[in-house]
Amino acid sequence: MSSRTFGSAIRRREDPRLLTGLGTYTDDLSLPNMAHAAMLRSPHAHATIVSLDTSKAAKAPGVLAVYTGKDTAPALKPMPCAWLLPNAGLNIAEYPLVALDTVRYVGDIVAVVVAQTPYQAYDALDLIEVKYKTLPAVVDPEKSAKGTGAPIHASVPGNQAFKWTVAGGDADAAFAAPGAVVVHDRIIQNRLIPTPMETRSALAQWTAATGELTLWNTTQNPHIVRFIGSLVMGVPEDKLRVVAPEVGGGFGAKIAQYPADFLTCFCAMKLNRPVKWTETRSENYIATTHGRDHVQDVALCGTKDGKITGVRGTVWAGMGAYLSTAAPGIPTILHGLMLCGPYLIDNVKEDVYGLYTNTTPVEAYRGAGRPEATYLLERLIDRFAHAIGKDPAEVRRINLIPKFDNGHNVATGLTYDSGNYHGALDKIMAHVDYAGLRKQQAEARAKGRYMGIGICTYVEVCGLGPSQVAGAIGFQGGLWESAIVRFHPSGKVNVFIGTKPHGQGEETTFAQIVSSELGVDVNDVKVMHGDTDKTPMGWGTYGSRTTAVGGAALAVALRKIKDKATALAAHLLEAPVEDMDYADGRFFVKGAPAKAKTIQDIALMANVAWNMPAGMEAGLEASSFYDPPNFVYPFGAHVAVVDVDPATGAIDLKRYACVDDCGPQINPMIVEGQVHGGVVQGLGQALWEEAIYADNGQLVTGTLMDYAIPRADVLPEIEVLSTVTPSPHHPLGVKGIGEAGTIVSTCTMYNAVVDALRPLGVDTVPMPMTPERVWRAVQTAKKGA
Amino acid sequence: MTLDGSYRFPAPRARVWALLMDTTAIASCVPGCEALEPLGDDRYQAKLVATVAAISGSYEGTVAMADKVEPESYRLVIEGSGKHGFVNGESRIALREDGDATVVDVTGTMDVGGTIARVGQRLIGSVSKMMLDRFFACMAGKLGS
Repeated sequence: MSSRTFGSAIRRREDPRLLTGLGTYTDDLSLPNMAHAAMLRSPHAHATIVSLDTSKAAKAPGVLAVYTGKDTAPALKPMPCAWLLPNAGLNIAEYPLVALDTVRYVGDIVAVVVAQTPYQAYDALDLIEVKYKTLPAVVDPEKSAKGTGAPIHASVPGNQAFKWTVAGGDADAAFAAPGAVVVHDRIIQNRLIPTPMETRSALAQWTAATGELTLWNTTQNPHIVRFIGSLVMGVPEDKLRVVAPEVGGGFGAKIAQYPADFLTCFCAMKLNRPVKWTETRSENYIATTHGRDHVQDVALCGTKDGKITGVRGTVWAGMGAYLSTAAPGIPTILHGLMLCGPYLIDNVKEDVYGLYTNTTPVEAYRGAGRPEATYLLERLIDRFAHAIGKDPAEVRRINLIPKFDNGHNVATGLTYDSGNYHGALDKIMAHVDYAGLRKQQAEARAKGRYMGIGICTYVEVCGLGPSQVAGAIGFQGGLWESAIVRFHPSGKVNVFIGTKPHGQGEETTFAQIVSSELGVDVNDVKVMHGDTDKTPMGWGTYGSRTTAVGGAALAVALRKIKDKATALAAHLLEAPVEDMDYADGRFFVKGAPAKAKTIQDIALMANVAWNMPAGMEAGLEASSFYDPPNFVYPFGAHVAVVDVDPATGAIDLKRYACVDDCGPQINPMIVEGQVHGGVVQGLGQALWEEAIYADNGQLVTGTLMDYAIPRADVLPEIEVLSTVTPSPHHPLGVKGIGEAGTIVSTCTMYNAVVDALRPLGVDTVPMPMTPERVWRAVQTAKKGA
Repeated sequence: MTLDGSYRFPAPRARVWALLMDTTAIASCVPGCEALEPLGDDRYQAKLVATVAAISGSYEGTVAMADKVEPESYRLVIEGSGKHGFVNGESRIALREDGDATVVDVTGTMDVGGTIARVGQRLIGSVSKMMLDRFFACMAGKLGS
């Protein structure tokens, strides 16, 4: 078979085990003598703990120990926030693993029970007697800024975690310019619950004799768990092993570090026996981070012939009761810096207030900050187009940055790597026959049918990212990636990577990279990940960075292997290195391809080392630490076509088509799968998903009965197209694709629905656009008319 | 959340007032009430078994009557908690004469938290109203006896 598999839609090697129930997740693991932990979580959003009596629980059947904050505080440092956003007055409130005297959200841990069985542990939770004195709560970030509720942290005046500003050009002048057309919008970015199929889980094993701790944990970044876990628990990094087995979806919620994971370790160390903890689904909904939750007051200005001149806004971002690991960077760096989108917008200003609220901490959720930026911009552009009486696609065409191959600076300070935005727009418009759709729409309207077309263009920043930039923006870690490539004597290959694929298919695509670079059969490559004792340091899988950064690290390591193999082949063929040639896994003297050494020959000769050139080490192995010179910037254009029934509010999504450009595609089928998943999650926000808190801080969408996630039966066939614009700085030219769909589909859907209802005077519908809300928007518009 | 209702008793106001103060009658009419023990000062220790959505469980707490203006009105304050969460409620109960009958107006607020709030949210309002209706129907039945 051909070894040139780069670009081949080969099947994912992960799937047979995952689709037949053979994947091993953390909760599938058992150790001899294992005990089980359960967390007592606060039922109140804000209260002081008046008394806490664990004596009955401690005596319950099977119970081994009950721990409260008094037990854990001396042994465990508070949870650190690891994104120290600079120049923002960042005020990090102490985040104890177990509440000491105050609970600040429904789900805050109050005590931990360890028992012989999980059921005994859960039963014993009911025997813990806690008296609370409730305090007023606040769940809405804008109200939190206005002083609703009781102060959440004594050390945080006004509940303000930070105030961050992005500014480029002179937005105020642009808005004040004579003749400027200004459109405003007030946007509620609905709070979302990531809902991975696998809830969170931890299994800890302590070996007292050596002082070594192993933590199996469902996480997107085991090395970060080791790094931060070591700080929190005081276990040296060299004696802390973190293993992420199969991880059943993360979507950003498994980036963060969680108290329960380290408490499970604490219990194992105290009791000197393995301890496991696994969330229930309803516990997941209150204990695992949420996403989005912005209130945005935004405006856009431009000329009446369609040129956008400025974007301005204020954002109140709910952060939850404590600042989670990467939380401060999400509504700021990953949001505000993308406010220019793919457009030539010279003047931008946005103030972002991060507010503590009495809710579950808010963190990264697929797209993380970028959907919130793309959404507001694309919504404003449709308003602007309507205000000046131009077609929304035309307004985008007027403002898109012209094609560039190597660097374009935008007003927020970023340098986009490469883009052909008009190319993506042209392709999607041709594919859907945009003019024809508008004609159909006019005909439908004439017949009283409400057809809508949403069209959006986007660019996103991913492949996080250059470590120097990470340091400058306060990210408490590097963002390089690593890879080790090891050729065995037989020519089989192990690749060890620092990232942690958990559904994105890199066991397959990384093998394709090896195959393409060195000509080995793709089936001769095994990709290893997720064990800090076995794999090199890495910063994890999020921010669409695994292929964009980790894939680059792999490519660099492979090129080192190729250099060594070339030198060894030259030695074996008794030719000068500069006379050597390579093709499809074969090294030969130029012009003499018949007498070649295959990569497998070289692997054997390097491993036995019988005849090495002077000074060359044995073995065929290379490692690399790749620090990207820039982020990567995938882009594209999406179209949604809907029919809306104003009488019932029902939305019928007739068509969803997209053009995404992530550079050269290693495996187009996997790219398509990532686009599908991303689009659907974005549609989920637009149409169904919303985490709702009652004013008293109770999460009322606490189960999958009340929190609606998308189902396959309500979605059309998603039409996936692409263009190919390589990144100038990536060794393989590739960009990320994990989040693109989510970043643009929410606004595409929104714009389609509003477009459908515009003849009725509707100019906004709150998300999620449930039939009730659509119907109400229609009624409100009728009253206004 | 609010919890309101009006209930008509075919009896004079003083008789209805006396009935509403009768803890034996109350204990036998509160759906799921297993115990109602006086703590003094119009406060009672209560034990209740209730089912909301798929969640059934027992709740313990206190019931207090306050601001009594015989035979016109009083306040009922309930604080209860159990393994599935907590229920705190406060209602004003007013008795007004309507010919030979008496109408009891209940206006209250309820604060529910924990698992019952997350899982049973959509049903809490209707279940509470049903329990309130059942309670007053039962009390009305006591008038004849």
